[in-house]
Amino acid sequence: MRPEHVRNSICFQVVDLLNQAALIPTDAKLAVLKQVQELIINKDPSLLDNFLDEMIAFQTDKSIEVRKFVIGFIEEACKRDNELLLRLIANLNMLLKDDSVNVVKKAILTLTQMYKVTLQVTKAVSDMQEACWEMVTQMKGDVLALLDSENDGVRTHAIKFTESLIVTLSPRVVDSDVPKRQESDITLDKVPKDHTYIRYDVLCEEGKSALDKLLKFMVHPAISSINLTTALGSLATIARQRPMFMSKVVQAYETLHANLPPTLAKSQVSSVRKNLKLHLVAVLKHPSSLEFQGQISTLLLDLGMPQSEITRSTPPPREHRKRPR
Amino acid sequence: MPSHPLRVAVVCSSNQNRSMEAHNILSKRGFEVRSFGTGSHVKLPGPAPDKPNVYDFKTTYEQMYNDLVRKDKELYTQNGILHMLDRNKRIKSKPERFQSCKDNFDLVITCEERVYDQVLEDLNSREQETMQPVHVINVDIQDNHEEATLGAFLICELCQCIQHTDDMENEIDELLQEFEDKSSRAFLHTVCFY
Repeated sequence: MRPEHVRNSICFQVVDLLNQAALIPTDAKLAVLKQVQELIINKDPSLLDNFLDEMIAFQTDKSIEVRKFVIGFIEEACKRDNELLLRLIANLNMLLKDDSVNVVKKAILTLTQMYKVTLQVTKAVSDMQEACWEMVTQMKGDVLALLDSENDGVRTHAIKFTESLIVTLSPRVVDSDVPKRQESDITLDKVPKDHTYIRYDVLCEEGKSALDKLLKFMVHPAISSINLTTALGSLATIARQRPMFMSKVVQAYETLHANLPPTLAKSQVSSVRKNLKLHLVAVLKHPSSLEFQGQISTLLLDLGMPQSEITRSTPPPREHRKRPR
Repeated sequence: MPSHPLRVAVVCSSNQNRSMEAHNILSKRGFEVRSFGTGSHVKLPGPAPDKPNVYDFKTTYEQMYNDLVRKDKELYTQNGILHMLDRNKRIKSKPERFQSCKDNFDLVITCEERVYDQVLEDLNSREQETMQPVHVINVDIQDNHEEATLGAFLICELCQCIQHTDDMENEIDELLQEFEDKSSRAFLHTVCFY
């Protein structure tokens, strides 16, 4: 704990900065708000609670950048103190419905992180937490629905959210690739099966249905080149982190290769094929690709990759695992 | 207009000619720009095609300049290499390798397909953290002074158009198609995520 007088002085500083922020133009306001964030999140987090409402009040600011800043602040505050999520989720929900697509996109990115955090913190039961979980579940549905947004960038962000959701709502298995940064992330296997309102089996089904939604999205004949590219990458991530879905992923790649959307321009076809090659190699390199190596090699040959290069990317057949007795 | 200035990276193989020419023009036009190479080493033409001058990315433009003056001042004046190095050292002290830079960009423009592939490979091999998108566009430019100048103007025009869109991500596909028609070139384009 900091000595009282130091704490007081930081407190005065924050009050002063917040007063300034109310009256100055956007660029200066952002600089001031960033200072406040630094003071109450990193320098003296015991002040975070005191000034939370004042900071969140900027979510109705006229400037898009300030509203985006508030979303970033919500994320940082919740990372610092997970419990704050219970109070801030409703604010994030409002920002997810903002008029500006840039604010919506930023809110989707933050929800992608926060969904996992909510699942993590709502293990202990209280009414408040149940309400929070319900709201996040509703927001999850809202973002999945944004796969049909009219805006290309919003759809791209919704695809990335869906990717992360599928990974969270499915169990990590022995062969799962686990990125270092995600080691401590919650995944379905860590969700208790006897929780009162978080239902393991429901979540598991939600994960599978999100994957089906993504696969369906991908075969839309008028999908944009960027959405397609994004989805191809998401599928590779899903196949590597959740090998139980690899067969669906390889099948989707095959279907796409045979039926590229007719709306793509010539150079977009080149870009998509190049991406497909890149992601097929990533999947091929995974130890669980064994039973799909034939299919993947055929696709890669079709895409112009020399056999020698394919062989180099194919993992050697592994020795039979010793079965535990 | 996007809400913040576009963070642009221009990337070629050695961060000497094509990317530096574009860096120069873009920064003069007020862009927040950085430039990189993707090669394992920095290569400059030597006395014969099979005898390039090879440096590592730690060598400053100034050191390369002095090295070439010592080796053959006339040759490297005549082929414009000294002039290029002199320009480069006014922009920054040494070449940078794309794969070693962990800063985020909104737009990465590569100057040849091999470089584009290397950028994609690098971005895809990184662990995803924020899922912030970065658009990667390839504009083929031959590695000589004239083409570098023409290419830099094209890149600059492209960046200006992108900067002036209301909603870059929603409009970039269409914009690139228009640009392809106008310039009779094909651009590779993809999105990666940080």
